[in-house]
Amino acid sequence: MQLSRFATFTDLVRARCAEFAGDDVHIQLRDAKDGPEAERLTYGELDRAARRVAGALRAHGVEGRPVLLMYPGSLEFLKAFVGCLYSGAVAVPAPLPDGGVKGRLGRSSAMLRDCKAPVVLTDRASAPDVALWLATEGRDDVVCVASDALGETGEDAWQPPATRPDDLAFLQYTSGSVSEPRGVMVTHRNLMANEAALQRVLGTTADDRFGGWLPLYHDMGLIAHLLHPLWLGSASVMLSPTAFIKRPVRWLQAIDRYGVTIGGGPNFCYDLALRRVTDEQIGRLDLSRWRLALNGAEPVRADTLDAFARRFAAAGLSAEAMYPCYGLAEATLVVSGGVRGEAYLRREADAAALARDVVAPAEPGAESRTLVSSGRVTDFDVRIVDPVGYRELPEGAVGEIWLRGESVAAGYYGKPEESEAAFRAVLQGGEGGFLRTGDLGVLDDGQLYVTGRLKEVVILNGRNVYPQDVEYAVKSLHPALAAGTGAAFSVEAGREQLVLVQEVRGEQLEEAQLRELAQRIQALVGKEFHVPAGNVLLVRPGTVRRTTSGKVQRTLMRREFLAGEVHGEYEVFDPAVRALVRAGDVLLGQGLLQSAGGGGAW
Amino acid sequence: MNVPTRQTPSPVPDHVLPRGWLLDRVALYLGRDAETIDPTVPLAEYGMDSVCALSLCGDLEDEFGLVVEPTLLWDHPTVQSLLGFLATELAVADAREER
Repeated sequence: MQLSRFATFTDLVRARCAEFAGDDVHIQLRDAKDGPEAERLTYGELDRAARRVAGALRAHGVEGRPVLLMYPGSLEFLKAFVGCLYSGAVAVPAPLPDGGVKGRLGRSSAMLRDCKAPVVLTDRASAPDVALWLATEGRDDVVCVASDALGETGEDAWQPPATRPDDLAFLQYTSGSVSEPRGVMVTHRNLMANEAALQRVLGTTADDRFGGWLPLYHDMGLIAHLLHPLWLGSASVMLSPTAFIKRPVRWLQAIDRYGVTIGGGPNFCYDLALRRVTDEQIGRLDLSRWRLALNGAEPVRADTLDAFARRFAAAGLSAEAMYPCYGLAEATLVVSGGVRGEAYLRREADAAALARDVVAPAEPGAESRTLVSSGRVTDFDVRIVDPVGYRELPEGAVGEIWLRGESVAAGYYGKPEESEAAFRAVLQGGEGGFLRTGDLGVLDDGQLYVTGRLKEVVILNGRNVYPQDVEYAVKSLHPALAAGTGAAFSVEAGREQLVLVQEVRGEQLEEAQLRELAQRIQALVGKEFHVPAGNVLLVRPGTVRRTTSGKVQRTLMRREFLAGEVHGEYEVFDPAVRALVRAGDVLLGQGLLQSAGGGGAW
Repeated sequence: MNVPTRQTPSPVPDHVLPRGWLLDRVALYLGRDAETIDPTVPLAEYGMDSVCALSLCGDLEDEFGLVVEPTLLWDHPTVQSLLGFLATELAVADAREER
């Protein structure tokens, strides 16, 4: 039972706004040519802006209904988010519409269709793009409101909504593919419970400062970076994902300059900073105040943690700051984290045993994998479960992670059956009310180690890439692709890499045409899914394995691919993957293969 | 003060273009040797994604004082077409400075 004097997050925000009216709640760093420009927002200003937004939303009668939030920056987003709380509307953080070729395949479009929001909130600069997108979607009935263009009237007339703890606070669309979008329903009770869990796990106080570059439609970005400071009466600092990727050093400079103590992102952002920040830049950084560098949302790699800690020690970063944690949108956010101020735990597991879902100590000389502990699960009832028979497994066995607790969300919006199966699962013995996470893990001496995924989702560059979305988008490129079947999956070759095996059907294509098709596929995946498409195999019809009901057998395809049994009419490989699956062929001489495949990327 | 002219700036001559620099940066992000990159092959074929594309945008801005669109690498998908873009942009920038 969470002891809080606030029944809803709205009550809490109002109290904070009154108590800390003159203090900063948020600093947005706008990327400019000569460096970042800071824009500040105080709690008092936030309160007034949110009242204006609430007034506008009330005029459209959206209490209890979803409202899309599409913002290029964090500052206007925060005002709009609190404005939704103040009006009783359900905020749905969304990326700005994708202007690319994906069109209706884009994530924002999937979200709009799924939640049927009657209103979109955005800013003046983005409003024309959003209006155009709505028109393209055939949704001229949806109202587009530029929240930074509202007049100051209505601030005093505002009345608080009659929100109850089990009302929805927001929908989180981080899980689910574009073809099957799933909006996680987070209630006020869930949010309050998870913010309290965050405080216990991370040991936060009002002296902590939060932030980073994560987008706010990402669960860690929204709940840890933006909302947790509100919960504490503290402040956040943010730059845009684009600014971070263009110049990763600006993320670390923001941590230094604004005294961020807690913040992070998926493993990939640490790798990117390692590659792109120079020693000279590190020499000018002071990261000694950064006490928890959160690493979650994609598999955590021990070598990344080690390399980052070693290299940035020169900037005063303590090795204990590296902080692996585990969470997911379905549990609001945080599930577990390590002991603060202590080095995280790891263990060497035998790779072959792990492939059979058994954690065994690594034998000398045998291939091993370093498992990084995600810490202890303190705020949930956690079980490791056989995902087929729903039998609870003993400590040390690998199984699906099941969770029960106040942070577990109410379900997927508008999907009662799916919600029942995922959020209210029942163990073989009859115990019910568990969330099935879809993640595989093992409990060892109370520590949770996440070992893999039950679902076929591929996590690259911190993004969830759904194979079915890639396969679907690729088919749209050409009739010969549309007529064939495709299988997208990932393989481990130095890092996780995407592989696409796609049948070409219906017409005889010349080698040059196949090559052009492969290039278009690679450009589509690289641009629209934001991940490298280094491995594309265009294969004969009948190569891609399917079940009798027509379901693509991606796991089987991956196995055949890794065994070197899948051959394309045209193939292009990343060098590391080529070494893995064409090891024997290289010995035969590259020239031989080049004449068969003719690819440019050998 | 110079009188502004309306002439289209002539492209920067080929030999001053940063071909080697660009190939080195591209090679770095793609994790392969610069010699293995064919300037006429779309970079996506070598596994370019949006992280790599944005990284290069940042480099181009820093190196040449330009402000480029995040979509630059998709509009100019090969090293050759990127050099063509740079030739025009740098000529425009030069012309502006001369005024």
